Amino acid sequence: MEFAWSPEDLAFREDLRAFIEAELPADWEEISKGGPGSDAQAAFSRRFCAKLAEKGWLTQHWPVEFGGQGASPWRHAIVGEEMWSRGEPRGQQYMAVNWVGPTILQYGTEAQKERHLPLISSGNGMWCQGFSEPEAGSDLASLRTLAVRDGEDYVVNGSKIWTSYVAHADYCFLVVRTDPASDGRRGISVLLCPVDLPGIELREIPAVIGDRYFHEVFFRDVRVPATSRLGPEHEGWAVVTYALSYERVGAARYARAALALDQLAEEAKRRGSLGDPAIQERFGRALAAVEAARLLTYKVIDVRAHGQPPTADTSLARVAQTDAERSVANLGMEIYGADALAYGSWAEVYFRMVMWSGVAVGTTEVNLNLVASRMLGLPRE
Amino acid sequence: MDFEWSEDQREIVGAVEQLLAEHAGPARAIALDAEDAYDHELEQALDEAGFLDVALAEETGFLEAALVVEAVARAAGVASIGASAIVAPGLLGERAEGPVALARVEDAAVVPIAAHARTLLVDAGDEARRIPLASGDAEPVRSGFMIPVARPRMELTGGESLGPGSGARLRRYWQLALAAEASGLMAGALDVTVEYVKQRRQFKRPIGSFQAIQHRLAICQAGVQSVHWLMLEAAAWDAADERAALAATRAATVAQQVFIETHQMTGAMGFTREHDLHVWSMRLQPLIAACGGPAAHPRAAAQARWGV
Repeated sequence: MEFAWSPEDLAFREDLRAFIEAELPADWEEISKGGPGSDAQAAFSRRFCAKLAEKGWLTQHWPVEFGGQGASPWRHAIVGEEMWSRGEPRGQQYMAVNWVGPTILQYGTEAQKERHLPLISSGNGMWCQGFSEPEAGSDLASLRTLAVRDGEDYVVNGSKIWTSYVAHADYCFLVVRTDPASDGRRGISVLLCPVDLPGIELREIPAVIGDRYFHEVFFRDVRVPATSRLGPEHEGWAVVTYALSYERVGAARYARAALALDQLAEEAKRRGSLGDPAIQERFGRALAAVEAARLLTYKVIDVRAHGQPPTADTSLARVAQTDAERSVANLGMEIYGADALAYGSWAEVYFRMVMWSGVAVGTTEVNLNLVASRMLGLPRE
Repeated sequence: MDFEWSEDQREIVGAVEQLLAEHAGPARAIALDAEDAYDHELEQALDEAGFLDVALAEETGFLEAALVVEAVARAAGVASIGASAIVAPGLLGERAEGPVALARVEDAAVVPIAAHARTLLVDAGDEARRIPLASGDAEPVRSGFMIPVARPRMELTGGESLGPGSGARLRRYWQLALAAEASGLMAGALDVTVEYVKQRRQFKRPIGSFQAIQHRLAICQAGVQSVHWLMLEAAAWDAADERAALAATRAATVAQQVFIETHQMTGAMGFTREHDLHVWSMRLQPLIAACGGPAAHPRAAAQARWGV
């Protein structure tokens, strides 16, 4: 067991920090308030990711032949921490490097790897996630969007919902039913679907968490080449599960929460409330929640670093991250008091950013189900 | 970063578990409790095998000591190993004559294991004090928390001062030790509860198949795992103040939750002396009350982090 970073990792973190400091514009804080899906941040993120890719830091955890350096997953975790604690300047690209790329590496054909991986590793391929449907949320396996094979194509009909970042995406990681007679986990396939194909329509769903977070995506007789299928036909559930195991803790939410808590402590000092023992207690508890989330996430990265298959530790970490974010957000609202009510205030921005944490990337309830069955071995009904 | 045990760590924990299989366990804890006794034999066996020296040994440190303490608690060993294997070495830089009891001047009335201890380490605020104890120096007090407690017959401001600032050092190692013991006790309590809900049938199905039970146990599991890792990280950093305080913060909070949930889920059976749950669960309470109690740790963490 080793709880210290190596000198090389520490040096890398310093270099990365200096790079981020140099690249972020003066009005970055204002830009980042819109979240990764906003037009302003999306435009900046494309430029930023290209520069990050030039440094070799965007996908260093990937194999060398696909634009990586074969670096340890810990290196990529450091990137995640530094990015998330600065408002995620990679924007939606974090999804592509965290889980789309690794899933293509695992299940993709040579042609798919050659097409998609260089795009992502150079900072160009932007992705969105076509999972949820109006009737398939936590029960993802009940999805109905149908892809029927017709010659060299699949013809896709149906709709996806809650899709984040689709407005600026080039591709959708689309989960469809390829066997119309099936239900549940059998008969599902994954398509790497360009979002500019004829027959795809978007509608933004206005949301209290901000603009460009939620969309509906409609597919009407959309012809997707069969060569875009990732993994075996009808056996896509394993691909989905693999992707989710990367996605659930891909975002270093605890790093964002840690920075937020430090900023909040400064504000509490300024307001003269941090001397209050009851407030100190609240801060200490929030910090413990953040550090717990960090360590449980590290456990997941450690499993990966040792080349072992994903475990339910992923769900444990995701639950802890939600707990940490909520603790900090609630404390922020409390410290700011009525000042938090103004749109764009520090407390409001953080609260809005994290208030859907227990729903994003699989609900807390689904994650608790996975811990109960896979880690505790509790029986199903 | 590496969360896998080293060969040495695997060997140490394997060896201590082997010893514990012979010298600890729920049945033994229940028998000792009936006589309000302390497990001198267990402490002696651990001592003779060198497990109380790992914190200061050349090849090992507080991380290995924490693993030992956690294992003893998980095996329901009725011995104050956190105090002898972590707190005394951390505070004094050497072993103290054991058993070692820990107390605060501020709440000195009742002290766990004081009637059986040979050394009392006292948190007297800025400084820590060391008081040698002889038989009869503390009056046993009846307690239902599965560890003998007593009322010291002397002033806790006596004995030898360990110098300015030693109070903070004592608290850091105490926080680490209580987190390590709580981690082991909670794992034991959760294990028997998970087994129970798998077996216990009501409404024609195992109660562990109800989501209302599953989610709460999963939340407990997240809490217990978080204490385990926070505690080990704090140990690896020699109980550096913010980390030890955070481990104790989490330990005390999660312990309260695990106590409630494990007893709720095992129903009336869990409150009997015929079911093993109480050998772990009841001992959580003295740890929750230790070192200033659950509110003191987060305040200490906030003060260390933000300098207030």
